[in-house]
Amino acid sequence: MNVEIISDDQRDALQEIVNIGMGQAGASIARVLGEFVELSVPQISAVDADAIPVTLATLAGSGVASAVRQAFLGELRGEAIVIFTEHSASDLAELLSYGNEVDGPASRELLLDISNVLVGACLGGIAELLHAEIGFSAPSLLADQVAPGELVQAETIAARCALLVEVRFGLEKRVFRSHLVMLMPEDAVAALQRALDRFIEEI
Amino acid sequence: MHAPAPVGESAALLESLVERIDVGVFAVDRAGTLVLWNRFMAVHSGKSRADTLGKNLFALFPELPRRWLEKKLESVFVLGNNAFTLWELRPYLFRFPHHRPITGGLDAMRQNVTFLPLRTSGGEVTLVCGTVFDYTDTAMAQDRLHDAIAALSREKEAQGQLIVKLEAAQNQLLQSEKMASIGQLAAGIAHEINNPVGFVNSNLQTLKKYCQQMLGLIAAYQPAEARIDNPAMLAEISRIKQALDIEFLQEDLPALIKESEDGLFRIKKIVEDLKDFSHVNESDWQYADLNAGLDSTLNVVWNEVKYKATVDKNYGQLPAVECLAAQLNQVFMNLIINAVQAIDESRGMGTIALSTGHQDAWVWVEVKDSGQGMSEEVQKRIFEPFFTTKPVGKGTGLGMSVSYNIVQKHHGRIDLDSLPGAGTRFRIWLPVSQRAAAP
Repeated sequence: MNVEIISDDQRDALQEIVNIGMGQAGASIARVLGEFVELSVPQISAVDADAIPVTLATLAGSGVASAVRQAFLGELRGEAIVIFTEHSASDLAELLSYGNEVDGPASRELLLDISNVLVGACLGGIAELLHAEIGFSAPSLLADQVAPGELVQAETIAARCALLVEVRFGLEKRVFRSHLVMLMPEDAVAALQRALDRFIEEI
Repeated sequence: MHAPAPVGESAALLESLVERIDVGVFAVDRAGTLVLWNRFMAVHSGKSRADTLGKNLFALFPELPRRWLEKKLESVFVLGNNAFTLWELRPYLFRFPHHRPITGGLDAMRQNVTFLPLRTSGGEVTLVCGTVFDYTDTAMAQDRLHDAIAALSREKEAQGQLIVKLEAAQNQLLQSEKMASIGQLAAGIAHEINNPVGFVNSNLQTLKKYCQQMLGLIAAYQPAEARIDNPAMLAEISRIKQALDIEFLQEDLPALIKESEDGLFRIKKIVEDLKDFSHVNESDWQYADLNAGLDSTLNVVWNEVKYKATVDKNYGQLPAVECLAAQLNQVFMNLIINAVQAIDESRGMGTIALSTGHQDAWVWVEVKDSGQGMSEEVQKRIFEPFFTTKPVGKGTGLGMSVSYNIVQKHHGRIDLDSLPGAGTRFRIWLPVSQRAAAP
């Protein structure tokens, strides 16, 4: 992870924004889900394309994991990936008022819904702080109950390197652990840098 | 708005667009009251704008998953971000009849729905707009694609099985070709041995006659010995007689010749059996005596059998059976060799019982051993190609599968009885005539 994509100032600003954004996001997620959300301090790093699968696998840890991806578009462009390392479908189903039976399709829809809430809240918050207009694609399932090494295939990654922002989520009273990873391709980072520079000037 | 049209006209255009666009558009406020319901929604639901506006969504459509949808709408109100439903996971939100009432297809319209937050000037989300996209055609195409892929993979699996069968068949072919060339070789050797055996035998017969004549002559001379009055000659005769041990020689000579005759007879028998066994010139179906075939096969493998097992024969009266005799002999050989190998030498001589019998239009040949028997697992797999329980190098795992195929070719069957520790019994049933048995 020795790729230099953004300057130190920009990185500090991004860290600041992400911290604030996540705090706000945590509050809105708590309002939607009706439960207190635990959030880690966001980690920012730049990774080579080759290292992306390994990085995600490391986050996923051991055991099986599922992942949902969702694109964000507009002034900031990239993909968010939510990795579910540990979750109880019935616990989450309750949070989103799913019925009692969470079968195959419903359990996948549930992951998409949770991801949509997490990604929308977190990235929406960051974009707002940066005064950037962004939209989201519909979420789609990347991997369902696979070994961590199989979450993403290295050969399918188009970007050369990417900026990675990682946050861990948990719910206090529920069986739920996930990671939100925001990946921006190198060529989309320029727009982020402009937005960050704008933010720094405003301070 | 940069449109040159006056504001009122532009708003009217927009309203017309929302009304006519081929996408379902509706909007609800926080209480779930409908404030927008476009033509797409009206046409497909059968409920007009007048029927719906100002009414509660869930009251109008009680079949909607209320709590779940309320939560979803709530998340859009709170977070101000889009939410989605996808037809792959949730086929539809509103149950609308599909648009192929005649040509058929799915039971209901497949829908992707996006829920959009609508903000007032204050920035607060006051309405959530649902856009309903018809994905029925895509869903049907995808279903067909799934079916096609499933059919392809089924076909691929079937092909894989065929390839395995083909390999097995080829290996069996190789094995039977090998057996055929061994048979040819055996017949060639048998023929070559036959000639010298023939003249050795005829010479031996002559030799036997000469010996008898010579011994007769000596016997005739015997009384003349008393009349010899030359003491030197008498002493010489007596010395030679003693040196030769003439009495023993007279006794032993016929015995030696008899033994040699026996030996030659055995050679002739083996040569005949080899020829019988290989049936080199008889690759066609013909009527044969299976008892004789069993005997000649036993003779060919006798060397394998004689130190390990005693053989009990219990042959019945058999009619001539229409068969490929050389191939059936191969089956008998496999069974006898397997029987021998099943016998545990450390527990002394075993027993192999060969029996034959006749019942209606069928004959049977049975090979029963007192060997170690087979587990049920082994019995299930015994006819599989390459399945062997013998140590590496001892068996190819093809003997029983080749035998099975030969018996199949004869429209017969193989019955198997085996008890671990007690022994195994194979009984081959064959139709006397192929025409009667052929399906």
